[in-house]
Amino acid sequence: MGFLHQKDDADDLTQEIFIQAFQSLGSFKGNSSFSTWIYRIAINASLNKVRQTSRRNLFQRLDGLFNPEKKNADLLSGIVTDNPENILINEEHRLWVQNALNDLPENQRIAIVLSKYDDLSQKEIAEIINTTEGAVESLIQRAKSNLREKLSSSSIKNKKNTVGKK
Amino acid sequence: MKCELCKLELEAYREGNLPGGIMKQVEEHLKNCKDCNEINNLEIISNRVIDQEKETQSNPFLATRVMAEIELLESNHYVPAFKKILKPAIIMVSLTAAILFGIIAGSIYQPIVSSDEIPVEMVYMDDASLESVELLATN
Repeated sequence: MGFLHQKDDADDLTQEIFIQAFQSLGSFKGNSSFSTWIYRIAINASLNKVRQTSRRNLFQRLDGLFNPEKKNADLLSGIVTDNPENILINEEHRLWVQNALNDLPENQRIAIVLSKYDDLSQKEIAEIINTTEGAVESLIQRAKSNLREKLSSSSIKNKKNTVGKK
Repeated sequence: MKCELCKLELEAYREGNLPGGIMKQVEEHLKNCKDCNEINNLEIISNRVIDQEKETQSNPFLATRVMAEIELLESNHYVPAFKKILKPAIIMVSLTAAILFGIIAGSIYQPIVSSDEIPVEMVYMDDASLESVELLATN
């Protein structure tokens, strides 16, 4: 979820990852733990998928421009019990965070996703991305700082747009 | 408290992991500093979004889908060694053995050599000479 943010995409990717792992079982040497090995496959597959998706998103945005009803249906598919204002605010916040995460450099993004979404320790992350704990700590700090900046700039832009509309 | 220091302590502040004195300093700073307060709010929002995404449950049939896909792959691509090598080899050996057996059996067979002379005890059984075709035709 941390890489793709869409449940269906994440489910499909999980399936692909397990199949890929099954097919490459022979290449598992036992130098690292099995979970670390699976995480490495998952990260590589996720990054590949993100690169493909970013190309596809361009066409989806164009499609959204011509089919606004479809876009609204996507917004409502998540939360139906809340009032419309809250739905829109939640959606806006979700997009801010997703865009901010997507804009992070790959290594920072991997570190922050493994830390925040999977609650892995710095030691475990270091083992997965084959680096030191110190480097992971630094990556996470830089990722947080970048996220802070990106979220602030999104928030300012949004306020300007709101004022402009009024 | 300076803004830079406050930003570093924000996460620990939200989790309540700061010593009492620093906790109060951060709290005071957030009340007075608009920028830091906004950053704190944005981080709360981002944590909430991440928590919402973390709560997403995977498809309950995902495991079944994965197993079905693996079984399909196995049936399509994985041919056991028996089927790949052993089976054709056994068929070839059986066929060669059958041909060889036929050749050997054929070469062992000796036909009975028949003489033109009829044995004495069989003479009376051969009545063809007694009733010639011409004789039959005239009668």
